[in-house]
Amino acid sequence: MSHRRYMKSLNMDEAELRSRRAFCGLTDDDLERLRSLRGFAEQHTTGIVNAFYDLLLAHEQTRKFFPDDAAIRRVKRMQSEYFLALFEGRCDLAYVEDRLRVGAAHERIGLAPKWYLAAYAKYLELLGDQVHASFPREEAIPLYVSVTKIVFFDITLAIDTYIAANMDTVQRHQAALRELSTPVIRVHDRILLLPLVGAIDSVRAQQIMDTVLTRIVEEKARCIIIDIAGVPVVDTKVADSLVKTTASVRLLGAQTILTGISAQVARTIVQLGVDISPMHTCSRLQEGIELALDLVGKTITEKRG
Amino acid sequence: MSGTIPILRMGDVLLTTVHVELRDAVAEAFQADVLAAIEKGQIRGLVIDISGLDMVDTYVARILAETGRMARLMGTVTVLCGMRPEIAATLVRMGYPMDGVHAALDLDEGLERLRSLRGRR
Amino acid sequence: MTPITVTSRREMPVEVEDDVILVRRAVRDLAQARGFDAFASAAVTTATSELTRNIWVHADKGVAVIEELSTGDRYGIRVTFRDEGPGIAHVDRVLAGGFSTARSLGLGLSGSRRLVDDFRLETTVGQGTTVEIVKWKSI
Repeated sequence: MSHRRYMKSLNMDEAELRSRRAFCGLTDDDLERLRSLRGFAEQHTTGIVNAFYDLLLAHEQTRKFFPDDAAIRRVKRMQSEYFLALFEGRCDLAYVEDRLRVGAAHERIGLAPKWYLAAYAKYLELLGDQVHASFPREEAIPLYVSVTKIVFFDITLAIDTYIAANMDTVQRHQAALRELSTPVIRVHDRILLLPLVGAIDSVRAQQIMDTVLTRIVEEKARCIIIDIAGVPVVDTKVADSLVKTTASVRLLGAQTILTGISAQVARTIVQLGVDISPMHTCSRLQEGIELALDLVGKTITEKRG
Repeated sequence: MSGTIPILRMGDVLLTTVHVELRDAVAEAFQADVLAAIEKGQIRGLVIDISGLDMVDTYVARILAETGRMARLMGTVTVLCGMRPEIAATLVRMGYPMDGVHAALDLDEGLERLRSLRGRR
Repeated sequence: MTPITVTSRREMPVEVEDDVILVRRAVRDLAQARGFDAFASAAVTTATSELTRNIWVHADKGVAVIEELSTGDRYGIRVTFRDEGPGIAHVDRVLAGGFSTARSLGLGLSGSRRLVDDFRLETTVGQGTTVEIVKWKSI
């Protein structure tokens, strides 16, 4: 996902930014303090960034994310920029976008949140050491608190990035599942077959009807066989959606044949009082195929000799 | 308004393509034109091509269904062809499945359907 | 419950027949521009056409407000139809689609309801009617 999409999915605007800053307690005073630390930061960047990556490279599980010297140089440079940006004394939408860009990059290379967050802890430790070593106690403590606040603000963004990326993956999987769930097959000239498997809820029912109609026009089909042997529950809603599908298929000049009707399903449909008379129905798929061929003016004959 | 929607005659079949949005005046004139054409010549079949319509609401659906019923009273079989899949879906979902009309995928199918329907009578 | 943000708003008068066509074209164009598939686009456009026509036919004049909605994971098109017409008597029966004296009105109303995701209707006999529809799309 691009950082722009993260901005969108986080609803990131001025109001959202204000509310996050308020929650983290990140005030303008804190930003002022951070800006006053700028010189200090520039002095200690290299040392802190090096120590930071020494940690990541010392551990087997994190070393693999930085395969070669070029990769390490690159991330050290990015990290230095990141580190210095903490002390610019600004926390506006542009700052957030930058953070999201960094987060997106980490998510893309597959660096899991547990490493990312543990690394932040190391960051704070290294910074803390330097701040306490360089400033008298009464100054060091408020400075360090401001640093902590902005780092935590960044951490919330990093976590949200991971969550958003996961949601995106889930949605893409759902889309793929949807496509797989309505496999319309052309079995012969002008004859389509749709074997339905699995439960049919109202969302899926709608997708099925839309896909069926689109495919009928694409294939100029005269007949579609819908096999429901694989549908575990046929209740009023499912029966109703089959009726609707048949009615709309008719408006495209085609006919629907329903097959795979078990005794149980036959009983349910009649007891529910659903009128499926406009549909051709068969118990087995084979009968449905023979009927479909008949409807388009064809027949299966035995070979002679 | 009359003549907005062209009506072609092919033997004893009328072909008409609805290519514009059916405002009230246009729709009424269309209906009148069709019936006048049926009355004038020995027309046994009517094919209405709606492939140009990207929306059919209950008003348009009613005009089309009515035209079909009026034509039948005058001895003419009507076939509606070229309905877009999203329109078929919308009409049925709305609860207006247009049960009384014959339908075909396109013009060719429509003419063939007419032939087979008339063959049965 | 994620808060809903209105990202755009457009008000269109409904007074003459051409307005019905203009309003539904505006909704159709918006749905297509925002990536609604053909089926969703046809659904919201047709519902819009029904409800705008209702204003023109039964109330003589009114207004249609087209808004774009946004939550974290969904995008929506909301159309609100307002008129100061006669209102709808026996609205429950009309919505059920079977009440004969208001047949065309009922068909359009109940039909539209089935085409959209959210549907709200407020009506007072003698004062007017407001109908609000929303069609959503995941982003």
